[in-house]
Amino acid sequence: MRVVIADDEALFRDGLTGLLIGAGVEVVAKVGTSAELVRKVELTRPDAAVVDIRMPPTHTDEGLLAVEEIRRVRPQVGALVLSHYLESHWAMRLIEEHPERSGYLLKDRVSDVAVLVDALLRIDEGECVVDPTIVSRLVRKPRERSPLDELSERELEVLALIAEGHSNEGIAKRLFLSTKTVETHVRHILSKLGIGETADYHRRVLAVLAYLRA
Amino acid sequence: MFRKGAAVAVAGVCVAVGVFTLDLVHGDPDSSFAGAGVLGRGALAAAGFALAAAGLAAWLRGGHRFGSLLVAGSLAWFLLEWIVPKNPSSLAFTTGLVLYACCFPLIGHAVLAFPSGRLDSAVERITVAGAYCVAAVVLGLLPTLVFDPAAGCNECPGNLLLVTGRDSIHDRLVRVGVWLGAASAAALAIVVVLRLVRASPTARRSRGLVLVAGAVYLGLVAATYATSIDRGLLWNGDLQRRLWVAQAVAIVGIVVGLVWSWIRARRGSSAVARLVLELAHSPPAGGLRDALAEIVGDPTLELAYPIEDAGRLVDTDGRPVVFAAGKEHTTLVGDGRALAVAAHAPGVLDDDQLVADVAAAARLVLENERLQAAVHARVDDLRASRARILEAGDAERQRLERDLHDGAQQRLVGLALSLRLLRSRLDSGAETPLGRSIAAADGDLHEAIEGLRRLAHGIFPAVLSDGGLSAAVVALAEDAPIPIHVESLPSDRYAPAVETAAYGLVAAAAAAATARVFVRAGRSDGRLVLEIDAGEIGNELEQTELDDRVSAAGGRLEVARPDGRVVIRAEFPCAS
Repeated sequence: MRVVIADDEALFRDGLTGLLIGAGVEVVAKVGTSAELVRKVELTRPDAAVVDIRMPPTHTDEGLLAVEEIRRVRPQVGALVLSHYLESHWAMRLIEEHPERSGYLLKDRVSDVAVLVDALLRIDEGECVVDPTIVSRLVRKPRERSPLDELSERELEVLALIAEGHSNEGIAKRLFLSTKTVETHVRHILSKLGIGETADYHRRVLAVLAYLRA
Repeated sequence: MFRKGAAVAVAGVCVAVGVFTLDLVHGDPDSSFAGAGVLGRGALAAAGFALAAAGLAAWLRGGHRFGSLLVAGSLAWFLLEWIVPKNPSSLAFTTGLVLYACCFPLIGHAVLAFPSGRLDSAVERITVAGAYCVAAVVLGLLPTLVFDPAAGCNECPGNLLLVTGRDSIHDRLVRVGVWLGAASAAALAIVVVLRLVRASPTARRSRGLVLVAGAVYLGLVAATYATSIDRGLLWNGDLQRRLWVAQAVAIVGIVVGLVWSWIRARRGSSAVARLVLELAHSPPAGGLRDALAEIVGDPTLELAYPIEDAGRLVDTDGRPVVFAAGKEHTTLVGDGRALAVAAHAPGVLDDDQLVADVAAAARLVLENERLQAAVHARVDDLRASRARILEAGDAERQRLERDLHDGAQQRLVGLALSLRLLRSRLDSGAETPLGRSIAAADGDLHEAIEGLRRLAHGIFPAVLSDGGLSAAVVALAEDAPIPIHVESLPSDRYAPAVETAAYGLVAAAAAAATARVFVRAGRSDGRLVLEIDAGEIGNELEQTELDDRVSAAGGRLEVARPDGRVVIRAEFPCAS
């Protein structure tokens, strides 16, 4: 797998490069600005770009804007956005606009290289990836009486995995269950929450995230 | 007292002169202008007595100079008839000889000097002086000095001013005098017409009749002289007599005009008096403007108050005022200070007396409104400076938040990666003491990163500037210790100060509430209305700080406490 890394902090860029190379990922370029990123993507045609959300000049949402620009020209290039922001707002901004082949991870998570590589692989397969911390904040946020109260522990676990962007097969593998069992869980959960069942995987992720944020 | 006595004496003189003149005309109708008919004598008496009465009235109203001009004009009007040959008195005859032509310069002077008694321009002064000179010297004094009645007028009484009888010089002087009389009366008429043309609409309304009648009178005088040129002296033929009767009518017209303008002025001052009464009762905000607008008859009139220091003009709410173009500005002065500036249609406040009366009548209210305006302006200044301070603080906090993220936090994360790299190089040595201490350092590092993230978020929630109020409230609900129900919240963007203040309210309510918070927001009448039901609260709200923020954003905050609950309602202005 070939990736481009964009981050304005050299220490992080280099560390990340080291980790990814160690994990067998080919880093074809590392850049410090979004303009450079767009150019390098055009030049190297990587499988994915790993992008810091805040880059010069304003240090706000340059990463998301860069993904936008890359996707307009090269929709098949995956995008993994790394961020300090815990709030689901930015993740939703990314996933709502690009539900396919994109992911949003918290920056301090990437020191676990297995998570990072797993996310890149899933993105490469067309899934979307949402950071587990963000999802668990959503699942656990204070609510008054809600249909979530009626879900079992296992169902809550499955719900979180759906929100993180896992497919039924992915969930089954993670929880050591059969795909059939997972499908049953998913059906139960969605009907308890009143979310219409949809065959479309991406629509399912968005619907669950929207439900949890409301 | 003295003035009244003098007036009575002058009135007596006028009546006596009038009666004496009518008697002269009766005795020698053919030589007079009035003639034997009732019309002529009526005209003589009406014009003469009307002028005298108007002069006395002006005198009693305080217009001494002006009143004197009218009284003198009245006497000169009668004097024209004193040069009849059958005049029994040499003194009266001589007086008539010198002054018979002086009526038109006096009346012209009075018409031009109305109402102040003074002439405005050099042109007017020169024209009036020239007319006096022609009438009193060229037509009056000089021919009298050389006119010997004994030479050609056997019936005439003696000429007391006779120096030496020179008929040819006399005739030549009079011939020139008649020319000049026609010219100077015409010049006066033109000056009066110019005055009328240049007058403002208000001045024209109040003084127009006087000026028109004056111009007509002077024109008729000029015509009388002009038609006498052939004869070489002021002739009293049929045409001239008719012109003379018309002069009398014009003079009555002038007097009617004077009375009309006095009535108007009285109406104006009674409106001012009413204004005083109204103001004494209860001066409503903006009421002074309305009252003034009514008095001067200009509904578009605007009032503004000067603030000493900055030379600014503000309205009663302290907002800066920019007058519409094409308006005339009049400053209302009281105690030597500018109390207010009125912008109005050109000419409606030309009457200096009216302006002074209004300023005097409304001085207290004007002063009051001016102070009110000044206080409002100060408050606005303060509010603006408070908003600037808060804005500067917010910008600084936003900068700090970025610095923390992009400086310290970035480096810490980079460090964590380096540590991880180091650990992976240790390979299977993770269980060695070195590996364990690296793992411990890694854990500490992540705690530090998490702590830093919370700190940065507490300094300024970046989601507020990125996603606006609704995104920030949704994010707040993810992290709050109690449920935050967002019932409705438009995802529109508002001014940063408004978003920060509104978010601050929700955050404060969420921090203080014990059970749950309901948030409801919507637009109404171009305002963002935010309602927060915080239920029962554990910690007291920092209401002063919230109030400060809301009002710095131009909004209004109400905190109600129905049955133990805390309900916050705030309204903010929002641009379209």
